[in-house]
Amino acid sequence: MVEKSTMDMSIRVEHKESSTEARALASLKAEAKALDFWYGENQALKSINMRIDEFRVTALIGPSGCGKSTYLRCFNRMHDLQDNTRYGGAILFQPDGVNILDRSVDPIEVRMRIGMVFQKPNPFPKSIFENVAYGLRVRGQNNRTEIADRVEQALREASIWDEVRERLDDMAFNLSGGQQQRLCIARALATEPELLLFDEPTSALDPNATANIEDLIHRLKEKVTILIVTHNMQQAARVSDYTAFMYLGELVEFGATRGVFTNPAKKQTEDYITGRYG
Amino acid sequence: MTLTKNDLRRHLSGQFNADLDAIIDRVQTMGQLVLDQLRDALGALERNDGELAVQVVARDTEVNRLELGLDEACRDMLVQRQPAAGDLRLVFAVIKVVMDIERMGDLAKRVAKAALKSAGTPQQRFGGAIASLGASVLSLSDKALAAFVAFDGVAAAAIKQEDRAIDEQCKEITAELQLFIAAQPGSTGGALQLIWAARSLERFGDHAKNVAEHIFYAVYGKEIRHMSDEERAQWLTVD
Amino acid sequence: MHDTQAIRQLVLRGRRRDAIFAIIGLICMMIGILTLAFLLAGLIQDGAHRLNWSFFQNFPSRRAEQAGILSAMVGSSLVMLITAATAIPFGIGAGIYLEEYARRSWVTNLIEVNVTNLAGVPSIIYGLLALSLFVYALDFGQSILSAGLTLALMILPVIIVSTREAIRAIPVSIREAAYGVGATRWQLVRDHILPYSAGGILTGVIIGLARAIGETAPIITIGALTFIAFLPASPITAEFPFISFEWLESPFTVMPIQMFNWLSRPQAAFQENAAAAGLVLVVMTLVMNGTAIWLRIRFRKRIKW
Repeated sequence: MVEKSTMDMSIRVEHKESSTEARALASLKAEAKALDFWYGENQALKSINMRIDEFRVTALIGPSGCGKSTYLRCFNRMHDLQDNTRYGGAILFQPDGVNILDRSVDPIEVRMRIGMVFQKPNPFPKSIFENVAYGLRVRGQNNRTEIADRVEQALREASIWDEVRERLDDMAFNLSGGQQQRLCIARALATEPELLLFDEPTSALDPNATANIEDLIHRLKEKVTILIVTHNMQQAARVSDYTAFMYLGELVEFGATRGVFTNPAKKQTEDYITGRYG
Repeated sequence: MTLTKNDLRRHLSGQFNADLDAIIDRVQTMGQLVLDQLRDALGALERNDGELAVQVVARDTEVNRLELGLDEACRDMLVQRQPAAGDLRLVFAVIKVVMDIERMGDLAKRVAKAALKSAGTPQQRFGGAIASLGASVLSLSDKALAAFVAFDGVAAAAIKQEDRAIDEQCKEITAELQLFIAAQPGSTGGALQLIWAARSLERFGDHAKNVAEHIFYAVYGKEIRHMSDEERAQWLTVD
Repeated sequence: MHDTQAIRQLVLRGRRRDAIFAIIGLICMMIGILTLAFLLAGLIQDGAHRLNWSFFQNFPSRRAEQAGILSAMVGSSLVMLITAATAIPFGIGAGIYLEEYARRSWVTNLIEVNVTNLAGVPSIIYGLLALSLFVYALDFGQSILSAGLTLALMILPVIIVSTREAIRAIPVSIREAAYGVGATRWQLVRDHILPYSAGGILTGVIIGLARAIGETAPIITIGALTFIAFLPASPITAEFPFISFEWLESPFTVMPIQMFNWLSRPQAAFQENAAAAGLVLVVMTLVMNGTAIWLRIRFRKRIKW
């Protein structure tokens, strides 16, 4: 039995940002300021303040219903497609500093700068080539060579060029699940977005396909800023530079991934990460 | 977030809770065994009890067996649970602590061997000092093990100071023994054994200090290993 | 340990019930098929011998052997032309608007309920509506134009509903993907919604037309004549502007009415004519429905949700 020390010592251990230096080097790509969101009367997001650093991967984790997907979809104004939704606060997008949630900002414009990859791969029922080219056509790009070049480049960036180069006119549905998801990533990349949103991109895929896409994300972040929602905590730990833990619509903790996963500051975060919590 | 003993029992998975509890229990068992080994070895040295010394040497295989078992349990924990945050720090600490305790077991065995081989004058003159050093080491190691089992970071932090005192003690005894050897070359064999014994005791204390530093990391998420005193003072405040 | 005997008994009993149910289902199906078969057999027996080239080329006549369905077929075709030209664009357009553009409100819900109800309104009501609206109020007269518009009104709900169903079958994920890439709503409709729902829409159109081709009551109501021994003026003329719209105003008759006319004559020969005409109508309907089914299958193969 240890005898209590006569000195009443208390330990204060500081949680310094071990990546403070790294953060100083990264510039800001987007910033949520007091972001609120309502589905009708129900407030799904409560006053979220969060930095998204450029060319970094930021992961959003949290239990079901915590609002991480809702938060993600604010970035490309996806909620505009539904009735009875309301944004509050702002999301400032750099380098222009424009608030992309403002009513005067056209959601189509926002979506041309911010791309999205969804949970279940959703290629169009068209050929592989047409899938990737669609984003370009929508912008009025008509030059055949230009389109072909960009499509090839996007397919290369998505690490799927070698697998499909011989069958670009095949229907996209004939690809496997993992390939379809990479095709969707290529589709999003073709338009050279500044920010790429991933909504649980591998939850419908097998471990092999998942690993492919995680490696891909690692390479992509050199060119695009990435915001990823995942319910797989090990994936968040593997893939991200920063991790945000959300609960019931609020941002509970945000920090460098290593710190959050080895020594979180908030008890709620710790409980969630260690499975003392659903 | 600070890790507490209670946290071990709060996982949604009861099996996880049970597995962690079992690991801590086994560490305690192994630690106790090693402390008993040292106590017996010191006793054997003091009373010149050859039989006891032989027992200590033989029982070291038990210590090694416990080490292998605990390593396997930790591997299982890593592959099954992919622990994070406090749990990760704990498993990491246990893996390190097991290594330290196994070395402590080896060192106790060394002391017992010294008991077998030493006799005569050096024993009479220096036995007391060795016994005193041994008592300090045992006291420190008791505290370290207790701090580990209780997840007491505060107690763990205090142990480094005590270890310094032990280092000093060992230096003194070693210096005197060296003088003795120079003066009486005939008893070199016995004196050397005592030097080995003293050094083993000092290293035993070092490993116990390591155990304390590991539990500090597990509890607070902060490494205090290899920190200078000034750095340490920065991290700890005294009320 | 479970009693294997008891389990075996249970399984046997279940199997017996399965067999009985299968037989009942088979009987029900056969009743339907056999009835149709008898009907067709009757028609063939009565009228098949009348189906020669002259039957299709002759006008109706007081002499049964010389009577033909030329004017009726041409009349039916022209009316179908008007019906299709009107119902298709309006029906598809309305369907797209209601599904894609209109915001959900009590108004759209009301419209949805009423459109579905309209599909079940008795066709003669449409005839009455057409009479007062097209024939008199708009003064289109008792013409092919009126008939075409009437039938168009009648099958409009069918086309609207099938358009909406076809559009609804497109998963939300496709829309999200299109919007996600920066498409506008019109681009979404043009590049995705229309192409993917084309199969379903086409099916609905063909089914609607197949129904319209056999409708008698509304056409009679607005005044199709039963004895037409001439053809409407040709749409294509020899002189400028090479297209004439005279045929829209011409008196006319359609297949079902011609059949009805022949049926009401006592002579057996005319009954045979009616049977022959009925055969033609049945075959046309079967061909149209068959095309609709084939199209549906083909489109389903290409697009799997």
